[in-house]
Amino acid sequence: MLAFFNTIAARIRGFLRPGDRESDFDREMAAHLEMAEEDGRRRGLTIEEARRDARVKLGGTTQLRESWRAASGLTWLDGFALDARLGLRMLRRSWGLTLAGGLAMTIVITIATVAFVFLDEFMGRTAPPLDEGDRVVALQSWDVEAHRRRDVSRRDLERWGATLQSVKDLGGFQTIERRLTIDGRPAEWVRVAEITASGFRLARVVPLLGRWIGEGDEQPGAASVVVLGYDVWQSRFASNRAVIGQTVRLGESIHTVIGVMPEGFAFPVNHRYWIPLRSDHAGSLKAAPEGAVFARLAPGVSLDRAQAELTTIGLLPQATTPSGRSPAQPTTGDARRPRVVPYTFAFTDDVERGELAWQQRIILLLISLLLVPPCLNIAILVYARTVTRQEEFAARFALGATRSRIVVQLCVEALVLSSAAGAVALAITRPILFQIGEIIRRLPALGGSLPFWVDFDFSWRVGPFVAGLCVLAALIAGLVPALQATGRVLPVALRSLGSRTRIPLGATWTALIVTQVALAMALLPSTMELAWGNLRPAVLGPGFPAGDFLTARLAVDSQRIPTAEPDLPAFAARVRDVQIQVIRQIDTEFGVSAATFATAVPGAEPLTLVEMDEGASSGGSVRRYVRANEVDRSFFEIFGVPMLAGRAFDGRDFGSAATAIVDQTFVRQVVGDGTAIGRRVRPVAAPGAEAGPWYEIVGIVPDRPANTSQGRMYLPAVPGTRGAAGPIHVALHAGTDPAATSRRLQEINTNLDPILRVDDVRRLDEVLAESQMGGHLTSYALAIVTLSVLVLSAAGLYALMSFAVTLRRREIGIRTALGAQPGRLLASIFGRALRQIAGGVIVGVALALVLHRWLNIEVEGGWHIPGILPAAAIFILAIGLLSAAGPARRAVRVDPTEALRDG
Amino acid sequence: MPDSASSILQGTLDLMVLKTLEHLGPLHGYGIALRIEQLGERALLVNQGTVYLCLVRLVQKKWIKAEWGVSDNNRKAKFYALTKAGRKQLQAETANWERVAGVMGRVLNPQSGS
Repeated sequence: MLAFFNTIAARIRGFLRPGDRESDFDREMAAHLEMAEEDGRRRGLTIEEARRDARVKLGGTTQLRESWRAASGLTWLDGFALDARLGLRMLRRSWGLTLAGGLAMTIVITIATVAFVFLDEFMGRTAPPLDEGDRVVALQSWDVEAHRRRDVSRRDLERWGATLQSVKDLGGFQTIERRLTIDGRPAEWVRVAEITASGFRLARVVPLLGRWIGEGDEQPGAASVVVLGYDVWQSRFASNRAVIGQTVRLGESIHTVIGVMPEGFAFPVNHRYWIPLRSDHAGSLKAAPEGAVFARLAPGVSLDRAQAELTTIGLLPQATTPSGRSPAQPTTGDARRPRVVPYTFAFTDDVERGELAWQQRIILLLISLLLVPPCLNIAILVYARTVTRQEEFAARFALGATRSRIVVQLCVEALVLSSAAGAVALAITRPILFQIGEIIRRLPALGGSLPFWVDFDFSWRVGPFVAGLCVLAALIAGLVPALQATGRVLPVALRSLGSRTRIPLGATWTALIVTQVALAMALLPSTMELAWGNLRPAVLGPGFPAGDFLTARLAVDSQRIPTAEPDLPAFAARVRDVQIQVIRQIDTEFGVSAATFATAVPGAEPLTLVEMDEGASSGGSVRRYVRANEVDRSFFEIFGVPMLAGRAFDGRDFGSAATAIVDQTFVRQVVGDGTAIGRRVRPVAAPGAEAGPWYEIVGIVPDRPANTSQGRMYLPAVPGTRGAAGPIHVALHAGTDPAATSRRLQEINTNLDPILRVDDVRRLDEVLAESQMGGHLTSYALAIVTLSVLVLSAAGLYALMSFAVTLRRREIGIRTALGAQPGRLLASIFGRALRQIAGGVIVGVALALVLHRWLNIEVEGGWHIPGILPAAAIFILAIGLLSAAGPARRAVRVDPTEALRDG
Repeated sequence: MPDSASSILQGTLDLMVLKTLEHLGPLHGYGIALRIEQLGERALLVNQGTVYLCLVRLVQKKWIKAEWGVSDNNRKAKFYALTKAGRKQLQAETANWERVAGVMGRVLNPQSGS
């Protein structure tokens, strides 16, 4: 075995230093021949005879050298290096193929890599970046029937902590939101981890200042304390080391700062404030992601063993345990089972462990399959190029190269291209991931930061994944055409070596190119309309000065929603009263004509499926998705929206009358022809679900915001009718000093009943820009995909045209010699190819019509562009003609003498 | 019978080279080839170049080592010498060869074995 490894190492050394190796061999052979010659002369031979005898005895030096090279180096690696060099040369020569193919491969590999890193971060990573992070686990209550994570009762947490031997540092946390008040600063809502002292022991991170939360802090009656995160210490306390002992107000209670954690510490998820989870806390710990039970596996204990022990101990029944009943026995119908999972897995989703791995694999497989269409396109181009290189391959074949050798060469050439694409993809993936991270970070549920184990950085797994994609791409783009070309081309080329007869491109490949044209034609109108629909609001603006408005959310403090069902109506009534109180206060403060409220921010309303009553233009009941909002009386006045028909909401609408106001897009999309006033519309929860009550349309307004593709429906809003937890949004004129108005809105917060809070104060144009962000990303993605399809189509057409010229070079020469007009010549050469393209365009137009009908472009966020279909057809034909320009130029410049001599 | 000679050679050339180096000490490729030719009465080597392929293999396995030196005729030559690992390998190969040769002898000539 040792000899085997020595041999491999020596061969690698030999491969890396081919020059030394060769000269050593030459010197040794020279020395051998000299000694043999001397011997010969001693035996009485002449110089010539001795030299000849020495060479004969040594054997053929060329053959010996080849055998010696094979024995001392890595022959296949030598060949690979040569193929790679040839591949690079081909990339430079066929720059059209390099650009078109490289672009398409780069796009797909980038998409796949982004998806891989995303999945790897959120689904694949099991060890948080803590000391022995792979030993940190979460203990959960898993509902096997509902397939959901459930809350864990405080009593279960205590029981597990007291009895489980296979884990240590067991504890729990839950995220709560508290209003933070620090002297001299406006109050703000922050996410606080209510956590057991064991959490800090488990994390094994020493505080930067002060101390952790200790067991004593958990005791009932202990002083309220808080540990701060590094960022908070820097931004709120100006890195003051005397912060320890200072007090902050969190909600109703005053907390003394006892410690500051070092930079980057955010355990258990993304927290910056930690307060003790009191031992007299009687409720349940919320299920992940809002809470979890954590622990560290005891030394030498596996996850399975911990699971086995936890299963034995079990969960307490959901109801109060009657005395004398074994807590391990679940109550009848209780589908909850305790489970131990890797810590980060607990926050992934409501999934089983094996299930997630499969989901991940399937998603990755599907993403990897995205490589197939562009690679097949590149395969067409590679095949076309291979056919033009038939003489080169035939010559090599004749000189003794095997078919597999030529196939390998073509695959390595494709690998060079795909590797270059992979390298570019890796380089651009990082900034893209950063942007995606920023978008996700801003999601309200994450409170401005990602879980501490998610950094969107490349793990070592990205390397093999991208390498695998490059190999896959090379196999599709290189192997298929290589096998086809060497199977088809070589015999013909060998027979015709010297006569220069060329073989045609082949019906399959021509059909593929034409299909590609049809596909580009079919996709182009819809993608343009979708992209324009998504970009339109940003390009043309919302139609009113959105930057002059501020919006704020009035949300219920979720901690205060009663858990008991009977308490809910009283709570809802209280919420309603407070909402009315706030709106009055805002009216008093800013003026009645300055503020309004709605259940959704204008521009970010939820999509709702609605249907019209009978008699709609299509004759039956029309169902469409529109954006629906519930607004108060002053809504249209504040936003300066005039009534185009009918009337505005008045006092009767806010009572029992069921009325609605719709915008012009709604009328166009849903009502169709005829008058809308007096017609009835109703929301339908989902396709197939029972419909809601009818609303009579009493007014029509212009689109606000304008230039969006979806219609809007407004219903009269009454505070408190959205249920206890439904937030409402306030919109008001920002005035001359938006910052002051914003501050004043925040201050109103402090005088409110604590069940309601004012948050998310933003300028309306910012809200609109954020709501359009997804649409913009879609547009860019569509633009990139369309661009790559177009580029590949153009490259395919170019290849087709080039073939037409190359194949008929001799004929062109003869006809030119006989005085044929260039126009007629071109028509006859390209006639067939252009007819094929025209056929592709016609099929594409038909497909585009079907796609347009099926896709319902406006519902998907697109915007109907008049005349897009003929414009797209002309565009594709123009691309076809442009692709033909180069080959056409070559055709008319064919020198008859040369063509006849060569051909 | 050159065919049978070369097929014997494939399996035994390594052993012969190792044995030669053990017997004669450090030696250049030409010397090794000459020695094998002499012992095998020119029946075992198809050509002398074959020895160099064998030498590359043995160096790679670290059974022999190579060093440039000066020959008796004052010429620069690459000298090969047995390593410790090579010596052990030679012992093992020799024992194995003797065992196989003994078995083959008994199979081909049963009377003399009994």
